[in-house]
Amino acid sequence: MGKKVLIVDDSSTMRKIVTRCLRQAGLEFEEVLEAGDGQEALQVLQGAKVDLILSDINMPNMDGLAFLKEKAGNDAIKDIPVVMISTESGDDIVTEAKKLGAAGSIKKPFTPDQVNETIMPLI
Amino acid sequence: MVEPQELISFTQEIFSTMIMMDVRPGEPITGKYEFFQSSITGMVGLAGKYKGMIAIHVPDNVAKTITGNFLGCGVEEINEDVHDAIGELANMLGGSIKACLAESSKDIELSLPTTVLGMQYSLQSQDDVKVMTIPFSVEGGEFLVEIQLQEK
Repeated sequence: MGKKVLIVDDSSTMRKIVTRCLRQAGLEFEEVLEAGDGQEALQVLQGAKVDLILSDINMPNMDGLAFLKEKAGNDAIKDIPVVMISTESGDDIVTEAKKLGAAGSIKKPFTPDQVNETIMPLI
Repeated sequence: MVEPQELISFTQEIFSTMIMMDVRPGEPITGKYEFFQSSITGMVGLAGKYKGMIAIHVPDNVAKTITGNFLGCGVEEINEDVHDAIGELANMLGGSIKACLAESSKDIELSLPTTVLGMQYSLQSQDDVKVMTIPFSVEGGEFLVEIQLQEK
């Protein structure tokens, strides 16, 4: 059975770019689900089982770090790997995201090779 | 302050990796551009150790070309996708500049990107900021990348 990915970013353009980049990186998913912020992502995850989450950090309503906290407290979704894709590349932000359960991070702008290298081991 | 060559490198990296477009820099300009025609401006604000903003000012026709390359399809009108794409460019530029200026991520906060569009509009800034603007040539025309910074 094919794998599903959830892309969380307040920019619809970026969600499309990440989807295209996954294909260019040779990562095929049966279904790509989208959410505009952390809150919307939690709603999507109530109704769909995904294998991987790719999330921005700076978002309105619920940002990526708050989303990680919420996800960690929810037994049904806490084990889904999350990779942060963000313009935020500082060591302290990346460390905080990892403390909150992020499996990896990718800095924008990114190349398909960087996406492949980070995501391939997780799926 | 960010050096002109750094701003050029950040812009070229974003365009080459995310949009697959070559951009050629012109000579940096130190004066302020305040009036724009038939353009869209994407901006992010900085607060903390430095305050100011990073903006990208793009004429409508160039913005449609950039958005088309971003999305991999033709864009005929200035729509939500164009706002989103130009805002995201400002966001990525902001992230690169923050990484360049801040020793710790908490030194500088970035705002979410905003866009302004119009047949004619003006953007006014404080007088006590350092301003650097770099023009870039790209397929279909030119655009400007501007940084306004004040160290606190």
